[in-house]
Amino acid sequence: MADNRGNLLPVYMVADESGSMAPHIGELNAGLASLHEALLAEPMAAAKVRFSILGFSDDVAVRMELADLRRENELPTLATRGRTNYGAAFTDLISRIPRDVQQLKSENYTVHRPAVFFFSDGLPTDGTRWREPHGRLTDRSTTPAAPNIIACGVGSADASTILDVATQQEFAFVSIRGTDVGSAIAKFCTALTKSIVASGRALAGGHPELVVEKPDGFRLAVDVM
Amino acid sequence: MGLLAWLGLRGKADEQQPQPAHRPGSGPRPGPGPVYVPGDRATMPGPAHHPGNPPASPAGSPRAERPVPVRAAVPVPPMYQHSGPPLAPDAYGQPPAAEASPSPRPVPPPPVAAPAPVPVRPRRHAEDPWAPVVVDQPIVEFEPRPARPTYRPLTSSYRPDSIVDGWSSEHFTVRAASVRGYAHRYDGTPRQDDLAVAAHPATRAVVFAVADGVSAAEHSHIGATVACRAAVDSALDQLDRGSEGINWQQLVNGVAWQLVEHAKRMQGLEGPDSAAAERLLATTLVVGAVVPGPDGYTATLVQLGDSGVWQLHAGRYTALGKAKIEAGAAVFSSAVSALPRVPPSVGVVEVRLAAEAVLLVGTDGIGDPLGDGSGKVGELFARMLAQPPPPLALAHLLDFSRDTFDDDRTLIAIWQRPGR
Repeated sequence: MADNRGNLLPVYMVADESGSMAPHIGELNAGLASLHEALLAEPMAAAKVRFSILGFSDDVAVRMELADLRRENELPTLATRGRTNYGAAFTDLISRIPRDVQQLKSENYTVHRPAVFFFSDGLPTDGTRWREPHGRLTDRSTTPAAPNIIACGVGSADASTILDVATQQEFAFVSIRGTDVGSAIAKFCTALTKSIVASGRALAGGHPELVVEKPDGFRLAVDVM
Repeated sequence: MGLLAWLGLRGKADEQQPQPAHRPGSGPRPGPGPVYVPGDRATMPGPAHHPGNPPASPAGSPRAERPVPVRAAVPVPPMYQHSGPPLAPDAYGQPPAAEASPSPRPVPPPPVAAPAPVPVRPRRHAEDPWAPVVVDQPIVEFEPRPARPTYRPLTSSYRPDSIVDGWSSEHFTVRAASVRGYAHRYDGTPRQDDLAVAAHPATRAVVFAVADGVSAAEHSHIGATVACRAAVDSALDQLDRGSEGINWQQLVNGVAWQLVEHAKRMQGLEGPDSAAAERLLATTLVVGAVVPGPDGYTATLVQLGDSGVWQLHAGRYTALGKAKIEAGAAVFSSAVSALPRVPPSVGVVEVRLAAEAVLLVGTDGIGDPLGDGSGKVGELFARMLAQPPPPLALAHLLDFSRDTFDDDRTLIAIWQRPGR
């Protein structure tokens, strides 16, 4: 590593653009705009996020790639088209995410585990075929930079499908209105990036013990504060 | 108004209360803001404490439709979660019962409206010697917000933005500084790093400690200060007592216990409560000593967490102890182990310093941008630390501006003075 230019969090907004999303696509676009505004108000957090927007239906349409939102005047909009091929979205991410991570590393950034925000009405038209690429994408032995997937059901989403897309049950949400989405993601990004740079929000392994007994010879320090 | 409501994460008890006024475009939310920590449920969007709770929404925009979480929990990726032994009820004592409770947890005082940080005209170092030293792309310039008042009445509310120290003993020249990070300046959080460094004349040693408070802990800046001072005091006490050297395990156990005792007093508890100490005061720590000997100078140290120690010699940095950034890792994680958790057997590193090497002890706020030292930050510091700079110059240097690096930074630099 020649130079460490920073520790970045790649964030992917992967949105269902199929025809059934028509009633919600306006709200999602409004949500994206509010996300942009919210992150601009948090320049320290925004500096550490690289944002991609992918719309999927029969295939994947790249709306934005690894953008620094501080340098974007406005975000692209999503548009409904075609059917709901979850497999296309996950297959795209299987190659995209490692490629992006590698690119950022080649630019001398260190990279945190990517986060994917997946928005859909939960009605895939490719049956269960999406589960295989989803499995490969989220298996950390297959995809070392496997993302955490936060799945957000829009409208009358099928809860069980949304649960299966999320990498943890705690990352699954349903009935999220589009306009709430922007602020929800913005807060998530801000919280994640702030907590990432803030030292040690979490305890690592190694099984250190919590001190429970007064050591021999202990005496209370003078209260200096 | 509770913290939950302020965040737009309304619990049932908050439903009838007004949302905070926060004008769009008026900058970041004001006041004693949330502590942004995974595991702190109040800070995360999405379903927080309560089933049926909405995800974060724009303040002041009541909705007719309530999002319903599939599972009521916080979306905290596992990489940010505690993976060590569980500490009841969880890593930072967030009671699991809170999810089922209709009441929000006790919260800090309501936020006081504060203006956004005051923007300032970017200055250039050529015109203004006190302008930030810019490396590559600068961070946006602004006037820091005051650090919001800290814990009272048992501790002082005063937490300076920066501290500086510098002196020479018979065998060493010391420069030390701890500066608040740009992110904490931006949102009004106190500096969570701290340091302590002292000479021990009888042994001609210099003992040192740097600590980086774990931001998940509510008063980790106090934890950092307690840990540094307790560590250095303990090292000096042990050196006073004789020629056996320092028992580092005993020192670390004692520092952990100081944190427990301090938490007890802060909370007015009847007995020691390690979990409370961790929740309030968790901090990383590097503590060590450097001594002159007949065959050269020797540094001995213990590293708990991700602060680092380096030897800078002939423009090159050598990490003593473990490095935070692992070459070849697929992704980067900054999870740390922290006091008051104590390893059953602390790892002690003892290194004979190269002649004319500078010993550097720093938190990850400097360790991350330094990397392996071969980049721009490494070159800058190697050049500026070739000779001991004036103490204030070290603080100014440490406060350099480079995009994305906004953490608190603390550095102790120790030069050998052989033949004196």
